[in-house]
Amino acid sequence: MTARRRPRTLASRYARTAYLFLTPAILFFAAFFYLPIGNVVATSLRTGPQADQWSGLANFGQALADPAVRHSFLVTVGFSVLVVAGSIVLGLALAMVIDQPLRGRVAFRVLLLVPYLTSVAIVGLLWRNILDPELGVLNRVLAATGLPQQQWLNTAPLLTIAAVTLWQSVGYTMVLFLAGLQGIPETYHEAAKIDGADGWRRFWRITLPLLAPTTLFVSVMAVISGLQAFGQAYIITNGGPGDATDLSVFHIFNVAFRTRDFGYSSAQSVLLLMVIVAFTLIQLRAGRRAEVVY
Amino acid sequence: MTSPLSRRDLLRLAGAAAAVPVLSACAGAPPAQTAAPGTFTVYWNAGHDYQAYRKVIAEFEQANKVKVNLQKYQWPDLRTRLLADFASGTVPDLVEEPGGWVQEFAISGNARSLQDYVDRDGAAMGFPADWRPVTVERNSYQGKVYGVQLHLTCNTLLYNKAMLRDAGLEPPTTWEEFLAAAQKLTKDGVYGVALNQDYTYVWPWLTQAGVTPYDPKTGKIMDPVADAVEALRFQADLVHKYKVAPVPVSSTDYSGPQKLFSAKRAAMILTGPWDLDPIAKTSPDIELGIAPPLKHKEQATQAAGVSMFVPAKAARPDLSWDFIKRITDLKVEQAATKETGMLMPRVSWADLPEVRSNEAIKVFADALPYAQDSSQQVRLTGQLGKWEEQLKVMYQQILIQNEPADAALAKFTQAAEGFLK
Repeated sequence: MTARRRPRTLASRYARTAYLFLTPAILFFAAFFYLPIGNVVATSLRTGPQADQWSGLANFGQALADPAVRHSFLVTVGFSVLVVAGSIVLGLALAMVIDQPLRGRVAFRVLLLVPYLTSVAIVGLLWRNILDPELGVLNRVLAATGLPQQQWLNTAPLLTIAAVTLWQSVGYTMVLFLAGLQGIPETYHEAAKIDGADGWRRFWRITLPLLAPTTLFVSVMAVISGLQAFGQAYIITNGGPGDATDLSVFHIFNVAFRTRDFGYSSAQSVLLLMVIVAFTLIQLRAGRRAEVVY
Repeated sequence: MTSPLSRRDLLRLAGAAAAVPVLSACAGAPPAQTAAPGTFTVYWNAGHDYQAYRKVIAEFEQANKVKVNLQKYQWPDLRTRLLADFASGTVPDLVEEPGGWVQEFAISGNARSLQDYVDRDGAAMGFPADWRPVTVERNSYQGKVYGVQLHLTCNTLLYNKAMLRDAGLEPPTTWEEFLAAAQKLTKDGVYGVALNQDYTYVWPWLTQAGVTPYDPKTGKIMDPVADAVEALRFQADLVHKYKVAPVPVSSTDYSGPQKLFSAKRAAMILTGPWDLDPIAKTSPDIELGIAPPLKHKEQATQAAGVSMFVPAKAARPDLSWDFIKRITDLKVEQAATKETGMLMPRVSWADLPEVRSNEAIKVFADALPYAQDSSQQVRLTGQLGKWEEQLKVMYQQILIQNEPADAALAKFTQAAEGFLK
């Protein structure tokens, strides 16, 4: 006697179909993200040049007590703060300018997006050559115009690589804010105008609150990319001068590929992942509280 | 009669089809280069692709019926790739390295001992008898040879003859003369000297000051400390106190001083033969002068240069050894020197007419006997990577950020004592 099958509901059929279509993506993520992450976690519990000796949580303890790790984390946080603040302020400002009925605004949008479409290696080399105090283009221009010469790569290296990062990414955040601005119904502004609100008041009371979801998304993405930044330190400053731009991922890279301590570098990677997840959750929670519904 | 496929069967097939590429990717890296029949993979520095070596490669291919896959990298990229290879077990047949890796990978078990080949062929090829002792020592571990030196270089003083002549100066020979010359040459947008931000350029100064980087018997680091501080402070003073050198900029690129020299914005630089070719190509009108390394407590300089080694898991070490033998032949060294001005490790190379008759190369060749390998003792501890990381930070803090040399050196020593225990 065979058991009678339960009739399938429409919802369960939809779910099965959805899972079917999700399967390739799940397999892809499992193979190229989750398995490597699992491998890194497993490696973080080992030590030695071949990462083949069990060390338990020793690498984590060492990382938490290591002044170089703490220093690189503080450098990274400083870099992220600069990038997040700059992304929001500049991205929003540019979006508001572009949102005006200006001639050639499409071309302007494209021009602002071009750096974002360029690889960090090219952008890094480009700015490295522009900013070099002795051989760079910028100082030649400054000298020709009688202005004082800059040494920013030596005097303000972290600020400089943050500015280069902003130059590259601000076009993207501008597009996000532009989409957010265009999603705000014009009626709100018209009603406020009738009530006598000036432009500044409308910005603070209508535009900014209604852009909260976009601002949240931009800040989350900027924090994640800021904490994961690598190419800027690798290409522009090589982490220097001294250890002034020793960003966390650059530090982890050096621990892995210069000192060959894969277990220790994996432990630092896991700690950084935990920090990024924590920051993201905090931002999402704080952002949801700040959301406004009119 | 075959039954039609049910929807469930279709779903299974579709799922299996989707999984194939992903699971294939999981199967591992592409087939090992070493396993590919007929292909011999060599990791090489991008700047060392000389015509003289291309000729050797062509002869090697013909003799062994293989195709050489010469993969060219900058050193940091080569290291990243190599360490990934070691982890995956897919290794090249031969690796060129920048100096120091042979012992590091011998200690870690990633390099193959070449002692059996040396015992068999050494006498015929003149190894180690015709190689300078420093080059054999730096490629050996526990009495066995693991690598063979390809180039042997050192730092010395390059100067713009016209600038020194116009200033009424002779090439300096001591630190005091060097400072005086740099002060006189610094004018009209030209610096007397350009220093390098790369930490490896600290060694000639420290060796001239008589500093021993690390003594494993006593555990002393940068000893005598007072002399090390003096050497570091002297360089910082050239930049910040006397302002006869521009402030270097931290970078992965070590060609900054050469570019300033080529642009006639620096009258003197301290560098090696790798900068001869770029100077000749970019500024053929410069009257290039080359003087022996400076003297302080002693006349000394830093021995550098590249070697070759065979990864432990390389499938065809016989072929790798044959490649090493061919490319280190004296005639090949002769051709490479003639082509590029590169310095070579054979003792007999220094007596070649090409070397003795070339004013520039002769100065370098004459400095090789007193060139020192500064990181040998640290390398043998297996902690060279950490040492170099700390050294880079210290050197740039002093040279670029003008931090007090004694304080920066004390921090370095404290950190080094921690990992050299």
